[in-house]
Amino acid sequence: MKEKVLIANRGEIALRIMEACEELGIDYVAVYTKEDEASLHVKKAKEKYRISDYRDMNDLLAVADESKCSAIHPGYGFLAEDFRFARRVVMRERPLIFIGPSWEAIRDLGNKLFMKRVAKELGIPVIPGTTEPIYNEIEAELKAEELLEELRELGFENPTLLVKAVAGGGGMGIEEVKDMEEFRPVFRRIRAYAKRLFGDEGIIIEGKIPEFQHLEVQLLGSKKGEYVHFGTRNCTIQSPFRQKRVELAPGFHYKKEYQFDPQKVEAQIIKHSLKLARHFGYNSVGTWEWLVTPEGKFYLMEVNTRIQVENEVSAKISFVKGKQVNLIKEQIRIAFGEKLGYKQEDITFKGTSIEFRIIAEDTQRGFKPLSGTIEKFKWKDAPWLTVRTHVPRNEPYTIPTQFDPNLALAIVWGENFEEAKKRGEKFLDNLVIKGKTPQGEPLITNITFLKQSLEKVYQFL
Amino acid sequence: MQIELHKKLKELLETAEYIRDIKGEKFFGIGSLIERVSEYHENFYDFSPGEVKKFIQETERKLNVLIEEAEKSLTPYEIVKITRHPQRFTLQDILENVYDSYMELGGEGEINIDPAIVCAKAMLIRKVGKNYYFHQVMVIGHEKGHGEEYRSGGSAKPWGNEKALRYMQMAETEGIPIHFFIFTPGAYPIEDYPGAAQQIARNLYYMAKLKVPTVSFISEGGSGGAEAIGLTDIRLMAEKGYYSVISPEGAAAIEAKLKEGRPPRELVEKCARALKLTAKDNLELGTIDRIIPEPPLGARRKDFAFFRRLKTELIRATDEVVLQTRNLKLLRKYALSKQEGEEFKFFVNWELDADEVEILLENRAKKYRKMTEWALCEPKSTFKCFLDLGQTIGRKIKNELKFKVFKPGHKTFKKFFEELSNESSILLKPVSDPVKNVYNLIVGKKVKPKFPSTILSDESHFYNIYNIPIDLEDRTVTCPQAEKYGCPDLWVPDLYGEFCGVCPNCGYHFPLSYKWYLENIFDKGSVKTFNDEIASGNPLKFEGYEKRLKKARETTGLNSALLSFEAKIGGISLIAIMLIADFRGGTVGVAEGEKFIRAIELAKITRRPFLALIHTTGGIRIHEGTLGLMQMPRCTMAVRDYVDAGGLYIVVYDNNSYAGPVASFLGSAPYQFALKSTRLGFAGPRVIRETTGQDVPPDYHSAENALKRGHIQGIWDRRELRKKLFSALLTMGGKNLYYR
Repeated sequence: MKEKVLIANRGEIALRIMEACEELGIDYVAVYTKEDEASLHVKKAKEKYRISDYRDMNDLLAVADESKCSAIHPGYGFLAEDFRFARRVVMRERPLIFIGPSWEAIRDLGNKLFMKRVAKELGIPVIPGTTEPIYNEIEAELKAEELLEELRELGFENPTLLVKAVAGGGGMGIEEVKDMEEFRPVFRRIRAYAKRLFGDEGIIIEGKIPEFQHLEVQLLGSKKGEYVHFGTRNCTIQSPFRQKRVELAPGFHYKKEYQFDPQKVEAQIIKHSLKLARHFGYNSVGTWEWLVTPEGKFYLMEVNTRIQVENEVSAKISFVKGKQVNLIKEQIRIAFGEKLGYKQEDITFKGTSIEFRIIAEDTQRGFKPLSGTIEKFKWKDAPWLTVRTHVPRNEPYTIPTQFDPNLALAIVWGENFEEAKKRGEKFLDNLVIKGKTPQGEPLITNITFLKQSLEKVYQFL
Repeated sequence: MQIELHKKLKELLETAEYIRDIKGEKFFGIGSLIERVSEYHENFYDFSPGEVKKFIQETERKLNVLIEEAEKSLTPYEIVKITRHPQRFTLQDILENVYDSYMELGGEGEINIDPAIVCAKAMLIRKVGKNYYFHQVMVIGHEKGHGEEYRSGGSAKPWGNEKALRYMQMAETEGIPIHFFIFTPGAYPIEDYPGAAQQIARNLYYMAKLKVPTVSFISEGGSGGAEAIGLTDIRLMAEKGYYSVISPEGAAAIEAKLKEGRPPRELVEKCARALKLTAKDNLELGTIDRIIPEPPLGARRKDFAFFRRLKTELIRATDEVVLQTRNLKLLRKYALSKQEGEEFKFFVNWELDADEVEILLENRAKKYRKMTEWALCEPKSTFKCFLDLGQTIGRKIKNELKFKVFKPGHKTFKKFFEELSNESSILLKPVSDPVKNVYNLIVGKKVKPKFPSTILSDESHFYNIYNIPIDLEDRTVTCPQAEKYGCPDLWVPDLYGEFCGVCPNCGYHFPLSYKWYLENIFDKGSVKTFNDEIASGNPLKFEGYEKRLKKARETTGLNSALLSFEAKIGGISLIAIMLIADFRGGTVGVAEGEKFIRAIELAKITRRPFLALIHTTGGIRIHEGTLGLMQMPRCTMAVRDYVDAGGLYIVVYDNNSYAGPVASFLGSAPYQFALKSTRLGFAGPRVIRETTGQDVPPDYHSAENALKRGHIQGIWDRRELRKKLFSALLTMGGKNLYYR
């Protein structure tokens, strides 16, 4: 039977999955909501169904059954990291293949505290802090004092603590504590906030790493127990809400001066990432996120059990037996049980690539997301440039208000960092996005911010 | 003279009407007789006195014959009608005729917190030879009145029962016996504070250890209302009274599955027979101690001979209770034997000293513990009995040694040590602190302060959520509140797995099978049931009930509606019971009561916390009549005993919990919590409408309202049940738990 994939996502990733399916010779079905009718992913797909919401499992599975799909690709965002969806997909009466890791892996690695505990047991360095939720303030105070001591021992001067709601995330339910005097009121405040917002009072305390670079390891595991990595990425440039804006591969600028040996550190974090992946029998693409301090210390932060937005940054510099890799294709292939067909030695890296996320947002005013209509969207094509977008170039496009106002991903490649940077600047200079907000004012994008950020990459922030 | 005759005629007319009311219009032409008597009564002066006299004599003779005939063919339902008849004596008549003087307390007629309950300080005079002795007693009882609206037919409101409790406490303070008079069709089913069910439970809980002799007299013993003042050392019953778990009409409505309207007459009579509600039946069942004989067709307001008899019986009964607390057995026997007949040859002082109070309470506990035990269906060989007994005794000795002998020593030492170290730390702090700092500086590491973990480790819980096949079906259900809150449809394995049967969007609690709780609330594999072989039977030979019981057994694979088991939560061992909806609606009968008592006794001996998880309870099982009803006082006594011994008794309600159990062993728990989906109360909406004539709002019995009325201690979310129980185990309860 020929495989058929339901693409349970929208925009750029839906297009990428379609492309990958076509190259693999697999059928696919697209879904879309009312607001996305004008999106390219809808126009491109031959078979498509309109659903109420990309998050509606019932709709998605009904479409899968109706169109006789054999697998579901969740893309990123929406249901990609919902272990209940993954579980339901494989455990229903008419099971489907979930293109992603096993639901157990999604659940266990997605539970940050649990992941941290396991990592600690395996001897993988994690950010100093508690690994169990704390409910009691006396206990919390004791733990906090212990932690401050530990941080001082580790060489942090004037250590700062982060009090976090277990159920929180994305910058919500988190507060800094510099002085033990203010610890108790902060703890109480966050606990009350967590109870109100998430219904769970659990609190964790972590040390704040003052300066760092955000590195991530791109892994790929197959169902046959094979593991390879595609190097590291550097995603230090983020919005204040910890959303990535500029990503680079590889993770270190090997020519730059560091207080440590970057190649050694990179090897270490890759080794640790693989260890944890093996522990969970991880069998798909995944990203292990790390914090690296200027002194060369590194801590595992979290694991993303999905294909990531920035997957192509790694793909652009990675070559399997001399051929450029497509991680989405690899992910689909592996989900259907295929072998990798190559080993780590077959993977080579060449050059530096930089990805820009072009977003309609007001970076001057707290990165406020904007909506409106795009009238002109132009850039100069070049062999070193890849632009991924669902925004049509030949007609006006209205940005839906329901979703993140991501417009495009642009990836530039260069033989080395300096060349890539130059090409990036060139691309951004030539990029034209013109549009209007619903109020009739000119639409603002983050191009200027991206340009400024380009000066700061590979720095400890 | 003529006036006398007229009066006599009036009496005859009343008697004739009384007979008609009991036996019906067609009984030996009673209808035409009434017509003739009323003709004489109305046109009295048209007849000559001689004629009237002759007619009176004739009619009197006739009526006497009729009464005798009527008495011979008296059916249980007719007895119910006698009990309810407006001409029957009431508490007011007893106060006036039985007691030598009385003063009503806390109310006067309509000016009363609840005119259905009368409390009075009364005096009884005992004549021994030429000497007069005075006895003070507290009289508490229902006043039906003779049709006055404000008496509400003797249905006590919650605050009426609360008033009864206050006067019980007053009698206890003064050390005088209490005589209870039960004339109630049932408690008035309203939930307003203190709540019908909760107040009855509170009364039972208190009466279990009331430190004065108590005697009750039952004329109309309607279910929970009767129990509210019925847990006594001796229970007397009027020969023409009835004592039942439910009115025959109510039983008929349930049997016929009626939602509205009146059940058919034949069915009502059948139910009255089947419920075994007469005095004779109840004596046989062992739920009462003695019957007070009444004249044929029952005593009415002017049957003075009956009142005389009642007085003697009340004194005798009180004597008996008192004498049983006295140490000399022989004297007791002699004294009792001398009290036969109406003449007293002895004076018995009704005051008890501390030792005697202890014996009194012991006697009371034994009496109720034994009651209804004969009706238990428990397959047991004598050898096993012996073995069980040995085991219980062994366990008792072991725990006594462990907790009473070793633990206190350990505890005292620990306390002393703690005090010592606290004192010394204050003294030594200025000295030791710098030392500590230096130590830390040198060693470079702070000594880890020890803190007991209060976190419920859910590691084991994290995996293997699925256990019950029905919860694994690949299908979705729609949340009933979807229209209001826009909830997405829920996949069953999710819903009955991690969602704990709760809609994650709006918090709606779906009903779950009882197995879910066993699998998910307690530590994995820690649930061990016991006493499973104790089975519900059909002690009253209730027609058609055997078959339904068999069906319940087959569909559930259980022998009774109550599951008792040992389990662990976060490593803390506890004893728990669960009332299960699947088995006859979680109703409570002899087997369930006995299992409850044995479980809580085990918890007491082994010093473990006791949890009652109520999946659903529909009340006392009507098919077991008063035998079922007796489980209310029985279980409540066990609860009191356990709580007083320093245990932790927690009740958690889910789904529906109504009537008897809530009004006794559940409602008397110091800690009661309800899950959000709970409906909790005394009577359902239909009974409320029929009794009070008023419709209740749909959320009348909701957990929120129960909390608002102060019936429960809190509302829990089912998703947090395990966590909440764990923290409850750690923070609540008395000092005698094994882990304290």
